[in-house]
Amino acid sequence: MTRASVLLAASLLVCGARVSRAQSASDLLRQGVQAYQTLEYDAAAALLERSLRRDSVTGLADSLQTRALTYLAATELFRGQRDSAVAAFRQLVLLNPRYRPDELVFPPQVTNLFQEVRRSTKAVAVVVPPLTTVRTRLDPFKARLLTSSLADLTVSLAREDGTPVRELYSGPVADSLLVSWDGLTAAGTPADDGRYILRVTPRSPAADGPRARQVVLDVKQQPPDTLPWPPTPPLLPERTLRGPAFQSLAAGLVAGAAVVALPSLLAQGKDATGARYAVGAAVGVSGLVGFFARKPRPLDANVRANAWQRDAWKRRVDAVKEENAARLRTMRLVVRAGPETIAERGSP
Amino acid sequence: MRISGLIGVLAFAAPALALSQGRPTLAFRGDAGFVWVRSDTAAGAAGAIRLRGPVLGGEGRLVFNGFSVGLGLSSGTLQAANQTSAKRDLIEGRLLVAARPVPWLEMSVGPLVRAYVTDAVTERWVFWQARARVDAPIVTSGLTSYVELWRAVSSQVNLVAGAGRVQGGEAGVTYRPPQRPFSLRLAYRVDDAAVRGGGDGSQMLEAVTVSLVVGGR
Repeated sequence: MTRASVLLAASLLVCGARVSRAQSASDLLRQGVQAYQTLEYDAAAALLERSLRRDSVTGLADSLQTRALTYLAATELFRGQRDSAVAAFRQLVLLNPRYRPDELVFPPQVTNLFQEVRRSTKAVAVVVPPLTTVRTRLDPFKARLLTSSLADLTVSLAREDGTPVRELYSGPVADSLLVSWDGLTAAGTPADDGRYILRVTPRSPAADGPRARQVVLDVKQQPPDTLPWPPTPPLLPERTLRGPAFQSLAAGLVAGAAVVALPSLLAQGKDATGARYAVGAAVGVSGLVGFFARKPRPLDANVRANAWQRDAWKRRVDAVKEENAARLRTMRLVVRAGPETIAERGSP
Repeated sequence: MRISGLIGVLAFAAPALALSQGRPTLAFRGDAGFVWVRSDTAAGAAGAIRLRGPVLGGEGRLVFNGFSVGLGLSSGTLQAANQTSAKRDLIEGRLLVAARPVPWLEMSVGPLVRAYVTDAVTERWVFWQARARVDAPIVTSGLTSYVELWRAVSSQVNLVAGAGRVQGGEAGVTYRPPQRPFSLRLAYRVDDAAVRGGGDGSQMLEAVTVSLVVGGR
């Protein structure tokens, strides 16, 4: 019991410390901004620097970091520390190449310096959706490139082991560019399951050029749903049945036999006349007439109707075949994107 | 006996009339046939008597909703087969009440009176028949065969020996031309009437009939 209490108290202390540190980063930022607004630039610089020194877990989020860096650069500029201001702005551009200071908040000397730094700092960022369902050739995967200034870039896709898969773009990017990947390899086949790396690299690596960026893509194929074959149509009989013909024959022959047999059944031992044979034969012949009148024969209307049904069914089958082939050509890929990271120089 | 039989027939017909909801229709049949009679009811006298001759007749029926009431009459003059001068007039009258529970089966009851008339004596038979007829279409309803059997539930004859077992049957074919209001019928009929206590005494009647039927089903 005592041991458990000690553990619980220790856990609470650790968690409480983490929370207080996280709060202090944003508090420091808020206090730094207040100091800047009251023209206490030395205090502001100290507070803002302290807010930015926090580690990634308890530190500021990207949006707050950009705010902190902007105020820090402005503070340093007004403190006469131009180099420090440039360094802060350079860090800001690298963090978010599309960021622009609010011209209603910051005076022109601040925004002008930022523009100067931005033009001289080559930075690039890649923005990708965390989860995309790609239908090859139809719905592509899209990545947006953001650059701080005109940059000559190559966007390529490679397997995790470095095997090139596809070059998606190569050329200048002035501000932003939407790059699409249709899910196919250079050979035109759907990408296999696995991890891929979307890499953005400068075409001409230079010391002051933008650093290469990369995003890990986890690709998984999903087999397409194909349509079932259309059911075979109900067809009409194309010939009359044999049954009625034989029923007719039986009806006539039985009645004819009954005519002949009646005296034997009902008046046994009596000499009946031969007239019954004539009548019996006539009745039997009527059965034969019925047999031939109802013998199986083609039903032309049904044959025509069935031919139309078969043609329509074949057309439906062909349409389903075509649709299934198209669906099999357009494989569905689920692409999960990891965070954007800086690619190490010389990495595959 | 006759009165109770008539009451029975009427009792059978009354529900039929009451249940009928459709409009009654009339059917008439004209018969022309040839009859052969072999009679040894007077056995021990002159042996079997064989008679034959043409017969004409007719029947009218009132048909309604599968039920019908019919009245028929036929007559003819029969000559002895051995060319003697003996001849008899044959007269038959029949009343029937019929029901058709299913299209292929007709059941009927009713009395049949048959008389052989000579100048000297009239031999009169009265049968109360129960009949069952099965129709089998050969070519849908245009050409139909049928077989009918009957048996007397009660029979009387004005002979000394009295009437015994009486039964008979008929089979034939009916042809109704397409879109015509009439039909033609070819039938063979045989009746056998035994005389009670008369040893082998019996009377057999055969008939081949061609009929024209107008109206009805």
